[in-house]
Amino acid sequence: MTLASASAAADHRAGEIRSARFRAEREAGWKRLDELVRRVESRGARALSYDEALELTGLYRHAMNGLSAARAISMDRALLVYLEALCARAASVVYAPQAGVRGSLARAIARDIPRAMRANAAALAVGFAALWIGALLGYWLTGQDSAWYDSLVPGGLAGGRGPGASVETLRASLFQEDGEHGPLGLFASYLFQHNTQIAILVFALGIFAALPTIALTFANGLTIGAFFQVFVAAGLGREAFGWLSIHGVTELSAICIAAAGGTRLGLAVLSPGPRGRAASLREGGEQAVMLIAAAALMLIVAALVEGFARQLVQNTGVRLAVGWGLGACWLAWFTLAGRGEER
Amino acid sequence: MSAQAAQGGLVGRMRARRARKAARVVEPQGRRIEVTPPEGVPISYAVAGMGARFGAQLLDLIVSLLIAGAPVLLLSATDALAAEGLITLFLLLMFFARSPYYIVSELIWNGATLGKKAVGIRVIGTDGRRIEPWRIVVRNLMKEVEVFLPVTALFGATLLVPSWAMWVWMLGVLSVPFWNRRRQRLGDMLAGVAVVEAPRPALLPDLAATAPAPASGAVAREAAPLFAFAPHHLDVYGRYELQRLEDILRRGAPTKAEQNAVAKVATTIIAKIGYTEKVAPALHRKFLEEFYRAQRGYLEHRNLFGDAREDKTHGAAKRQG
Repeated sequence: MTLASASAAADHRAGEIRSARFRAEREAGWKRLDELVRRVESRGARALSYDEALELTGLYRHAMNGLSAARAISMDRALLVYLEALCARAASVVYAPQAGVRGSLARAIARDIPRAMRANAAALAVGFAALWIGALLGYWLTGQDSAWYDSLVPGGLAGGRGPGASVETLRASLFQEDGEHGPLGLFASYLFQHNTQIAILVFALGIFAALPTIALTFANGLTIGAFFQVFVAAGLGREAFGWLSIHGVTELSAICIAAAGGTRLGLAVLSPGPRGRAASLREGGEQAVMLIAAAALMLIVAALVEGFARQLVQNTGVRLAVGWGLGACWLAWFTLAGRGEER
Repeated sequence: MSAQAAQGGLVGRMRARRARKAARVVEPQGRRIEVTPPEGVPISYAVAGMGARFGAQLLDLIVSLLIAGAPVLLLSATDALAAEGLITLFLLLMFFARSPYYIVSELIWNGATLGKKAVGIRVIGTDGRRIEPWRIVVRNLMKEVEVFLPVTALFGATLLVPSWAMWVWMLGVLSVPFWNRRRQRLGDMLAGVAVVEAPRPALLPDLAATAPAPASGAVAREAAPLFAFAPHHLDVYGRYELQRLEDILRRGAPTKAEQNAVAKVATTIIAKIGYTEKVAPALHRKFLEEFYRAQRGYLEHRNLFGDAREDKTHGAAKRQG
């Protein structure tokens, strides 16, 4: 029934309210839309055939039209409540569909992560500087007075490898086959679990003006520096460097990159620019997530290297090559990928 | 309330009246997030209550506990690991299952974890656009710091911070949603999302429809109205009263108390609008139904002519200018 003939017929039905007629004419369409929306909500847009998808968008526009009219003319609250909710759900289905997980992951690796890396050089510099300055300071302090070691390295981590330990003990801890139960195994699992935790922390704490992020990364650096100094003092500097490098190049860089993500959030809070803090945070948030995604990937790789390669490779030269070779791969990904044209 | 009462005097009373007036306009709306899709018709979502969100969080915690706990339970049956090892494994699994569980489930179900689904809430972008994966990641990583870090620190106390500072921190961060209009956590603000209700109301029958008769179509018209209303009967009330009446009529009248309520409303309305004809008590409900129909038709008609009557004070407002 067309609208014109409907209203003509309705003129004869005296006493019928205009909004009731309005509703009666459209109710079937709303019910159908409700059914389609329900299906998409529970099983995704793939549950619809091509024709049904077309029908959905058409019905959605009709319903929006109806909502607009009903708001203007109808005082039937049940109708308004229903239509508001139906249109809100339908709008979500039409304009905010589920994001494709696989597509966005591939896009992030091929393009978004390297671009975010290159676009946030300043934040990256802050992240790496925090760790390095911490490490140098920890190294220097422990060199001045070995008492610093106890306050810089958490107790459970030291595992008897304090400044007083013999060279043999230290050497054995660097080159043991059995990684699971020895003190270095402890250190490795500590690093793995805590580095993931620290990566999340330094990232998320960035929203508090980036200061906790920098402090935490710095403290992490202090520990590493103090730890390293003990081995250097025992004449095992090169060996300890190799031991740390094989996974640490990847793992510690991941921490620094996570810190850069946190710093990016902090910068968005501190200097929002002309568009306001909310907009600046949203923009910074997207970039920061790309950085933390890179850190997450690196931490996974580092865990694999730590779990297998470090126990298998006992030669310091090979350890150095693997560690820094891996580092070169990351660098290549960040600098070279995603430079093509926008597709 | 007590502050208002303590103020007393004219200012206090004026303020209270203004608050009541504002509350009445806002009340049926509540906290809402308005989004305008490209059609140009603004639509709104009701912001989820803190109780619902807490319930969803609790359910999700139980789910992630199960995810982390199931392998540990299986292992404990085989005696492969000592008790200490099992606890360590459980803590490790808990840590690595939590964030991924939230992120993956919100990705799969477009902004709803299992707990949120059960409670009937979901995450939407405050701009009405889709929630990209990065927003979900940000929101859930921030949760680690906002919710889980203070909790674990309070129990484990591994950080070099005094516990009173942890309390202050935790209360400060956890109270953020109470201070903003959209009830957003820090992570929600960062991601530009909000948690809203996802209701699926059913379309209730139209009270003003003229044919509740068994057969459809215009043939099965109901009998001619029993009551006739003149314009001056319908000039009294406005939209607000009409919709309250709608609520009362929709409640049905199975119980004695409901019937009494209907009778009371009917007599009040009869007195207020100056309806002179006698209405038998058995017909009170019928009277209200017909009055509703007539009143709605009248108000909607006036509304079309630009005479919107919000409530029964419409006449007074006009007289004042």
